[in-house]
Amino acid sequence: MISEILQTLPQVLVDGLTLGAIYAVIALGYTMVYGILELINFAHGEIFMTGAFVGVAVLFFMSGAGWLAVMPAILALLIVLVVTSLVTGVLGMGIERVAYRPLRKAPKLITLISAIGVSFLLQDIVRFITEWKRGNYIVTGPQLFDSKIGLDFSSIWSHFNDAILKTSSVILLVSAILMMIGLDFFVNKSKWGMAMRSVAQDRDTAALMGINVNKVISLTFFIGSALGGATGVLFAMQYGTINPYIGFILGLKAFTAAVLGGIGNIRGAMFGGLLLGVLEMFASANLQKLTGGVFTAEYKDVFAFGILIIVLIFKPEGLFGKAVTEKV
Amino acid sequence: MEKLKSFLSGNKIAQGVLIGVYVLITSLALYLSQKSVVAFLLLLFSLLLLYYTQLSNRLKWLLAGVVLVGVLPWAASSGPSYQSYMEVATLVGIYVAMALGLNIVVGLAGLLDLGFVAFFAIGAYTYGIFATGQASNFMPFGEYPLSGESFWLFILVGCFAAALCGVLLGIPVLRVKGDYLAIVTLGFGEIIRIVYNNLDKPINFTNGAMGISSVTPPELFGMQFTYPSQFYYIVLGILVVVMFAVRNFEYSRIGRSWKAVRENEIAAQSMGIHLVKTKLLAFAIGASFSGMMGVVFAAKQAFVDPTSFTLLESITILVMVILGGMGSVPGVILGAAVVTILNLQVLTEVTNWLNQMSMEGAISFPEALSPSKMQRFIFGAILILFAIYRPQGLIPAKNPVFNEEELKAHAAKQTGKKSSVPEDRAMQA
Amino acid sequence: MSILAVSNLTKKFGGLTAVNGVDITVQKESITAVIGPNGAGKTTFFNLVTGVYQPDNGNVQLGSTSLVGLKPHEISRHGIARTFQNIRLFSNITVLENVMVGLHNHLKGGIFGTLLQTPSVRREEKRAKEEAYEWLEYVGLGSLLNEEAKNLPYGAQRRLEIARALATKPKLLLLDEPAAGMNPRETRELTEFIHRMREELNLTIVLIEHDMKLVMEISEQIFVLDHGVKIAEGKPEEIRNNVNVIEAYLGKSAVTGA
Repeated sequence: MISEILQTLPQVLVDGLTLGAIYAVIALGYTMVYGILELINFAHGEIFMTGAFVGVAVLFFMSGAGWLAVMPAILALLIVLVVTSLVTGVLGMGIERVAYRPLRKAPKLITLISAIGVSFLLQDIVRFITEWKRGNYIVTGPQLFDSKIGLDFSSIWSHFNDAILKTSSVILLVSAILMMIGLDFFVNKSKWGMAMRSVAQDRDTAALMGINVNKVISLTFFIGSALGGATGVLFAMQYGTINPYIGFILGLKAFTAAVLGGIGNIRGAMFGGLLLGVLEMFASANLQKLTGGVFTAEYKDVFAFGILIIVLIFKPEGLFGKAVTEKV
Repeated sequence: MEKLKSFLSGNKIAQGVLIGVYVLITSLALYLSQKSVVAFLLLLFSLLLLYYTQLSNRLKWLLAGVVLVGVLPWAASSGPSYQSYMEVATLVGIYVAMALGLNIVVGLAGLLDLGFVAFFAIGAYTYGIFATGQASNFMPFGEYPLSGESFWLFILVGCFAAALCGVLLGIPVLRVKGDYLAIVTLGFGEIIRIVYNNLDKPINFTNGAMGISSVTPPELFGMQFTYPSQFYYIVLGILVVVMFAVRNFEYSRIGRSWKAVRENEIAAQSMGIHLVKTKLLAFAIGASFSGMMGVVFAAKQAFVDPTSFTLLESITILVMVILGGMGSVPGVILGAAVVTILNLQVLTEVTNWLNQMSMEGAISFPEALSPSKMQRFIFGAILILFAIYRPQGLIPAKNPVFNEEELKAHAAKQTGKKSSVPEDRAMQA
Repeated sequence: MSILAVSNLTKKFGGLTAVNGVDITVQKESITAVIGPNGAGKTTFFNLVTGVYQPDNGNVQLGSTSLVGLKPHEISRHGIARTFQNIRLFSNITVLENVMVGLHNHLKGGIFGTLLQTPSVRREEKRAKEEAYEWLEYVGLGSLLNEEAKNLPYGAQRRLEIARALATKPKLLLLDEPAAGMNPRETRELTEFIHRMREELNLTIVLIEHDMKLVMEISEQIFVLDHGVKIAEGKPEEIRNNVNVIEAYLGKSAVTGA
C-alpha cells in the first residue's frame, strides 16, 4: 500500500499545489477583509465564480471577434486577467458600499446575513445571465493552453511514477505566485499597504491620523476581489467547465485555508492554501486505500471541513496567528 | 375611513364580527371557485388579521383553531385541487415548525446556524431507514420495514435523535467563537449531506444518492395516512406541541439565559450562566423540532434522498426567520408561511402565467428568467434588504410586559413584613 | 477576618505584564478601594478574580476555596458578583428581565418542568418576578421595569447593573468605576447607597474608582496599583500622604517640587 501511495505522490503533489494555489489566492481575499473589518465575506467565493464567468465571456468575445487566432495565447490571457480583475474588483467595492457599509455599526449577525444574501444574489444573477445568453448555465470556455508536460519523477527515485503537468497548471502557478508576491509587496512596502495595516490595527486611531478609512476599506475590497476574479479565470482555464455554484464549496475551502494560516495573516493564507490543496489531493487519491474502502474519494470535502473544525477548536488563531484575548 | 378605524380599534365585537365575515367570504370563495389560489391565500391571511385584532389571546387561539382544523380543509375540499392545497398547507406547517426551531437558535440565543437542515435530514432518514427494508442491512435483530404504526413512536425518536445530534455537533462547534460558528455549521450541514450521499458503502445505510423509496405510510387503527389532507392533521398536531413548547421556553429561566447569552456573553457568564450548556440546549431544542418534522416529511413523501437537504434549504429557513423577525414567534410563523407559499404557489403560478403569455406571443420571455428558478435571487435580495432596512423583521419581537401594580403591591407587603428596605431610603430615581 | 485573599497574582498579555505579583487581602464586610492611574491593571485584576481571564501565576482565594481555574459562571456561584466599567447590560430585554437573569442560579426550572409548566415552575417564576422587582425598587428603578435596558439613561444603567449583580446574592461585590460619568449629587447618593448595601446586605464591597473624594470618604482600606504592581496599601489618610502614590499620579516632580 505504501508503495502505491508513493507511486502517485508526484502527481498528487503537482495537482495539490495547483489546487492549493487557487485556494491560496482566494484565501487572501477572505483574510484581507477579515483583517480589516472582522467580517467573513461570504460573497468572496461568488466573486471568484463571477470572475470565472467574466473571464470565459471575454474569451468567447475575443474568439468571436477572431482575435484569439491572431494573438499569442499569453497575451490573450493577460487581457482576460486584466479585464476580469477590473470587473470583479469594482464589483467587490460595490458590494461593500451597498451591502456592508450601512451595517458597519450593526451587530455582526446582521452583517453576516447581508453577506449571505449577496452570495445568493450573485449566484443567481450569474446563473440567469449565462442561461439567458447561452441556453445553459454550465459553460465550457475556449482553451488557450492545452499542451502537457511530462515530469520525469521516476528518474529521481525509482518508487515514484512520472507526473503529468498541464501547461495551464504552470501558468496558474506562476500567475498565483506573482499575485501573491505582488500583494505581499504592496501591503508591506507601499504607502497604501501601510494605511491598510493601520486600519486593520485600529480603525479609529487610523482615522485620527488622517487616513481615509472608507477609502482604505474600498481599496481592500477592490484588491481582494480583483485577485479572486483573476483566480476564477485561472480556474476556468485549468478545469475547463464552470457553473454558478462552484464558488460556494471553493470559497468555503479557501476560508478554511485562511483560518489554517491564521485569519488576517496574508502569508499564512498563502501557506494555508497550498497546504490544504496538497492535503485534499492526497486524501482524494488515497482515502479509499488508507481506510480499506470505507471512505471513498467522495469524502474529500468532509476531510477539508474536518480540518477547518479541528483547527478552529484547538488552534483558532491558526498555524501562524497570534492568540487574541477579548477586551473586557 | 378615519371614523371606521377609530370605531374598530375600540370595539372588540366589531372586530370579531369582521373577522368572521372575512373568513366566511374567503372560505366560500375558495369552496365555490376551486382554482382560485387567491381565495386560498386570502383565507390564510385571515390568521394574520386575527393576530392584529384586540381579542383576548384565548379567543384568538380558539378562532385560529377553528379556521385551521375546520374551515380551511372544508373550503378546500370541494374540488380537484383539494390535495394540492392541503399539500401546501402541510408544507407550510412543516416549515413553520422548523423556522420556530431555528428561531430559538438564531433569534433567541443569537447563534447563526447555516446548516440547520441537517437536523431535518436526521429525522427524515431515521424514519426512512427503519420504515423500509434498508434497516435489515445492518440491524442484527427485528424485521424491517417496521409497520406504519411505529410512525407515532418515530416522531419521538426523530425528535430525540435530532436533539442528540444537536448536542453532539454542538459540543465541538460551540467552542468556536462568534462568526466562525456560521461557517462551521455551514460545513457541518454539508458534511451531513455528503455522508448521507455516500453511506451506501461499505454497509448500505442510506442507499446513497439513489435515496430511499417506498417508505411505509403511517397507520392508526388500521387507517393508512397517504394523502396530504391526512398529513395536514398530523402536522397541525405537532405544531400545537411545538408552539406550546416555544411559548413555555421563551419566557422562562431557560429562555432568559438564551437572550442573556445573545445580548452579552461575558455579562451572562458573570451572572452564573453556563455558556456552553445554554447554547447546547438551544441547539438541541431547535433541532428537535426539525427532527420531528423530518419524520413526517419522510412519511409524507414516502421517499428520502440527500437532495432535499441542501444549503439552499438551510438558507430558506433562515430567510423565514429574518423576514418574519428574529426572536418573534408570530413573525417567524408569518415568515415561514410567506416564504413557503411564495416558493410553492406564487412563483409557480407567475411562471405558468408568463409561459402562457409567451406561448401566445404576447411577450417574449426567456426561460432563464422564469421566477420559479429565481429563489436564490429573491432570497438573497430579501436577506440584504431586511438586514439593511428592517433587521427586526415584519413583526418585531416583543418583550413581555409585567404588571407593575401587582409587583408593587407585593413588594410593599414584603417590605412591611421585613422592613429591611424602607422605600423612602431607596435611591432616588 | 479576610474574605478574599489574592497572592502573587500575575497576568501577562504578550510582552506586557498587566498585573505583576499583586497581594491583596480584603476584610469581610469591608469597603475596599483599588485605585491607580489609567492602565494600572485594576480592571485586569477584577477580570482575574471573576475568572474572565486566567492568571499566569498566583492564587485567588475566596474564604477557603481557590478560584484559580474556575469559569466565570462557577465563580458567580461561589458568591462573587460584579459590574463592568463599560456597562454590559442585556440591552434588548426589559429592565426586570435583566435582574431576573441575575437570579438564574437561584431558580431550578429545568427542561421538562419548563416544557410542561409544572406548578412548581410557575410558582418559582412568579417569585422570581417579585424578587427581581424588589431589587429594582432597592436601587430606585421600580417604575422602569418594562423599559428596554438600552433606553435607560446612563446613571440608571449603572444602577441596573448593581441590581442585577445583587440578584445573584453575592458575598463579595466588585464595582468597576461605579461613579464614572456621574455628577456630584449622584456621586453623593451613590456613596450613601454603597454604605447602605454593606450594612443591610452584609456585603463585602471592592470598588475601582477614579473619584478620589468618593474613595477617601468611603473606603476602609485602599490598594494602589501602578503598572501592574501594588505600590501602596492602607487607610485613606495613609494613602493620601503616601509619596509613592503622589508620584504615580502626578509624577516625580510633584513630590520633590512640593
